[in-house]
Amino acid sequence: MTAALTLFIRLIVRPLGREPGRTALTIFAIALGVAVVVAIHLAGTAATGSFQSSLETLTGDADLEISTVGGLDDALLASLQALPYPVRFSPRIEGFAMIEPQKVSIPVFGFDLIGDRSLESMAPPKSFDLDSLTRHDIIWAGSGVASEKGQQLRLTINDQTATYTVGGILETTSSQGAPRPNFIVMDIAAAQKAFSKQGRLDSIEVFLPERDDRRRNDRDWEALISAALPAGVTLKPKGSRTTENRTMMSAFRWNIQVLSYISLVVGAFLIYNTIAISVVRRRGEIGVMRALGAGRAAVTLAFLAEAAFLGAMGTALGLLLGRIMANGTVEMLAATVRSLYVSSTPGEILFTPDVVVVAVVSGMGVSLLAALAPASEAARVPPSEAMARGRHETAARLATGRRLIYAGLLAVASWGAAQLEPIGGMPLFGYLSALLIIAAAACATPAIVDRLAQWLSPVLRAAFGAQGILAPRSLSASLARTSVLVAALSTAVAMLVSVAIMVGSYRDTVIVWLNERLQADFYIQAAGQREARQYPTIDPAIADRIEALPEVQAVDRFRGYPVYYNGRPSILGAGQSEVLSRLGNLGFLDGSPPQQVLAKLGSSDHVIITETFANHHRLNVGDTLQLPLGGQLVDLAIIGIYYDYSSEGGAAIVDRKTMLKYLSDPSPSNLAIYLADGANPESARAAIENATSGFSVTLADHRTLRERALVVFDRTFTITYALEVIAILVAILGMAGALVALVIDRRRELGVLRFLGASAGQIRQLILFESGLIGLFSNTIGLALGTVLSLILIFVVNKQSFGWTIQFHWPIALLLGALTLIYVAAILAGIYPARVAVRLNPIEVVHEE
Amino acid sequence: MKSPSAILATVCLLLAATAAAFDHARPGYQYEFPRDHFSHSTFKTEWWYYTGNLQTAEGRRFGFELTFFRYAINEQGGDSAWDIRDIYPAHLTLSDIDGGKFFKTDRLNRQGPGLAGADTEQARIWNGNWEVQWLDPASDKSPQRLKAYADDFSLEFTLTPAKPPVIHGLNGVSQKAAGEGQASHYISFTRLEVTGSIALNNQNFPVTGQAWMDHEFSTDSLGPNQTGWDWMSIQLDDQSELMLYRMRRSDGSTDPYSSGTYIDPKGRAQHLDWAQIRMTPIEGSHWKSPATGGLYPLKWQVEIPDLEIRLDCATDLEDQEVVSRKQLGPSYWEGAMNFKGHREGRPISATGYLEMTGYDKPLTIGPSK
Repeated sequence: MTAALTLFIRLIVRPLGREPGRTALTIFAIALGVAVVVAIHLAGTAATGSFQSSLETLTGDADLEISTVGGLDDALLASLQALPYPVRFSPRIEGFAMIEPQKVSIPVFGFDLIGDRSLESMAPPKSFDLDSLTRHDIIWAGSGVASEKGQQLRLTINDQTATYTVGGILETTSSQGAPRPNFIVMDIAAAQKAFSKQGRLDSIEVFLPERDDRRRNDRDWEALISAALPAGVTLKPKGSRTTENRTMMSAFRWNIQVLSYISLVVGAFLIYNTIAISVVRRRGEIGVMRALGAGRAAVTLAFLAEAAFLGAMGTALGLLLGRIMANGTVEMLAATVRSLYVSSTPGEILFTPDVVVVAVVSGMGVSLLAALAPASEAARVPPSEAMARGRHETAARLATGRRLIYAGLLAVASWGAAQLEPIGGMPLFGYLSALLIIAAAACATPAIVDRLAQWLSPVLRAAFGAQGILAPRSLSASLARTSVLVAALSTAVAMLVSVAIMVGSYRDTVIVWLNERLQADFYIQAAGQREARQYPTIDPAIADRIEALPEVQAVDRFRGYPVYYNGRPSILGAGQSEVLSRLGNLGFLDGSPPQQVLAKLGSSDHVIITETFANHHRLNVGDTLQLPLGGQLVDLAIIGIYYDYSSEGGAAIVDRKTMLKYLSDPSPSNLAIYLADGANPESARAAIENATSGFSVTLADHRTLRERALVVFDRTFTITYALEVIAILVAILGMAGALVALVIDRRRELGVLRFLGASAGQIRQLILFESGLIGLFSNTIGLALGTVLSLILIFVVNKQSFGWTIQFHWPIALLLGALTLIYVAAILAGIYPARVAVRLNPIEVVHEE
Repeated sequence: MKSPSAILATVCLLLAATAAAFDHARPGYQYEFPRDHFSHSTFKTEWWYYTGNLQTAEGRRFGFELTFFRYAINEQGGDSAWDIRDIYPAHLTLSDIDGGKFFKTDRLNRQGPGLAGADTEQARIWNGNWEVQWLDPASDKSPQRLKAYADDFSLEFTLTPAKPPVIHGLNGVSQKAAGEGQASHYISFTRLEVTGSIALNNQNFPVTGQAWMDHEFSTDSLGPNQTGWDWMSIQLDDQSELMLYRMRRSDGSTDPYSSGTYIDPKGRAQHLDWAQIRMTPIEGSHWKSPATGGLYPLKWQVEIPDLEIRLDCATDLEDQEVVSRKQLGPSYWEGAMNFKGHREGRPISATGYLEMTGYDKPLTIGPSK
């Protein structure tokens, strides 16, 4: 035991202590990697896990929920309440209001404040003052929205802005840590009016009795209640909506989480590198220890212990750092969730044990795995081996041939994995394919570095003289170590490149699509908050008034409804296909001319669906889509699949006439206005504004709308870029640490150079030159690998998780900029090692011999 | 009168200021059935009260109360179904006399899209899945089907009037206090033959017995210093019935406008002045409610000297107090009673219901303030 301890101290602790700077850099690099994983994990849970609104802590959990597209006829409530069962049925209206002038969006719930006994846990007011209930301008506000009774709030709901008086403050009775209720409650009479949903209910919550004389179970109840429902009305276990939303977002969360592991993968290379350098540098010590009787296992364990130590420190620091980073990340993620999926307020960041497990497993696991190869290599150092350097590298060079074969095999496996179908909607093989190609690249890196260095030698010699010869020489000379550095950095570069290409291609595709799609001159929607899958309505009279303007040629009235199809949230929309076919544009997957398809849309119960909708539900032209509409199940024939990048859940669009046949509400949610030929846009805008006076609507031209769409797009990918930048940072930090090690390792060589008359400046240049070469090689390999990875991302991972068609496109400017930055950063990473090299005392160094 | 649940009375006081626009109960009101069995929206307060004493073939005794209230709180109403004009509270109790248990539950609704109401067209009084449906509304002895479902129990009865409806008071008006209009229009079915079943604890009890139904509508009928009342329905086994009420004043005295009605076996009604009635709580028979602290006299002596009726009144179930939830109104005691005594020298017995309000506190608080 003491022998092992001595071994550990001599072999590991002392060297680590001698180079606190390098040790700290390695630990920090791992910490960053772990921190990113932790931050994304925490923020992802907080941003997407809060569909269970704080409202449910007030009303208790309903057991079942009744709903239908376009809302339920409220007479249904009366017939349900008359059923001979001790079951409570509570009506709900749901929507959003925007607080003016702050433009903060909050959920609004309409309850039957008189009859609904599920509100009894609400505190205060426990019951509602009857006088207030007869007025429509009284609201009850959560304590997160207003602070005192009597306070006035200006709210925009749909296309109306009005002043409301707070009739009471709502507070949850649950535990203290719970977020303050951030919503508004209205009586159902007022809510129906405010949201223009007279006679309709968004849902009916069903509360089953806690005890039942006849011992009916949940399934019995479902059957009994279903029997009382008209066709086209769905009864679902409550919380299935939450589950459905979670399912929908799981692809998004998955991909973000996977991206967060990039830094850790980069970190793994660095651990490998650190331990490998340690092993090489301590060959002398290892030899001595082995000669003194230390076993192979003890040596392996000692180096694994070093990795474990670095991993543990990195993990601990990473947890702390990750928790801090989560604060900044959560709002970023929540914004994405809101704009792409469903409205939700981010919940608390909860530091649960599973986060710690994830951090420890990933941080420690990656460290130990990465150290395994160099540590077992250390054990193979024969006791007789003492000071001689060089033999190891020779071995490494000899092995490059074999590694190239591995690389080839891995690349083939990667290609194979890319061909496989997703598992449960998750592109698991896509990720595997990406991982395999990275491994392939890592295997091929030594050979590539060697080849590149050889090719570059003559060029560099001509250009830079002595340093030009020495730098590539030394790089290819200490191949095993430097190639790991190049692999680490090039992996980070490749990730950045691939994501940049994917996002750039995606962005470009969306721009092309927006230009095609936004053919109208002006667009109108309600000023009330428009969250994902929310369609606040506007008064139909507005559309008629605008259509009557001489400047206007046509108005396309669009109405969206949030629907759930096969458990996936999506959109049912209705537009005027006649207007769209005459004046608009729509790109169909099979290349059909839009006029032809759209002409058929209005003629019968036909529907067109988006590409994502088709992919998610495996639907094709000619298939039938069955949707519950207005109390009946309607079969819609799919006559076209079109490109659309506006929502992941996808949409199904029918003609307005078809919708009105089943759903009577004529209120549109969006208007597309086409001006008459030759109409002056400015005077047309003025006329339209005049026609909408008195209503809170937003009027935007197509350019503004496109810009807005791109702002949302860019915001969505901010986090992706942030993750890439951190990965690069990890790689650069690691590189700096590794270069210091290289410098120290080559102190004899550098000493001799100084001895032979090289100036301090020349030595500095040499080191900077080397780091520059590492940057260059990494960029080259990274660019190539990144391009391959981007193909996997675009055509496998994206296609399988989201279902979008993305046209491949190089974001050249972005890539050039990023690669230049990385190159500069790589050179900068050489500054500290260069200073270390310059500070070496040549006499002392040479004396070591 | 038949007692309102305290809630309504107190709401009356609360909103007295707005009462001007409502009709008041005045002499000479022209009754018309079946119309007058259902809603009178020009009056502010209205209730339909079903109580009854039932038993199984084996003799297991039950009492029940099902009450529908309507109270106008906003005369104007509104243009949407959900706009509140009236609120509709309802109370449901079951007295499992031999099981020694009392079950009570309540609910509150607005009319909304048909959640509660009392509609002539439909010949139906309802609140959610508590309802009474007239099966043959044109007949003054129309059977009524009563259904009520609660978490713990449910009732399904057919009620068949043995006698046509009785109109209480004089000249169509049941006076409650001295002021003009401090009165109600008060109609009763004093003997409803019950057949049906009670579901309780996973058991179905087929029952028969007698029920009583009160329907009363008014606007601000209470006098200002009235603090509560005691009301009794008595179904004598000689096929006659008595309805008696006593209005208590804050000084402990009885308002002289208290009164009663005697219905003879053929269904003829006879008004009884307070001077003709003795209804006396027995000293020491008080039960103290653990829930509200109310001190209720559970034994009474009833005497109608003119009819030579003398009865001792008692109950076999002490706790039949309806404790109103939250701020929905004061609590009251309403329970199944037995009567034993003599009429014209011959022994006689009866069953009935007793209601006592204002014993926990005077009726001065509102439903939601």
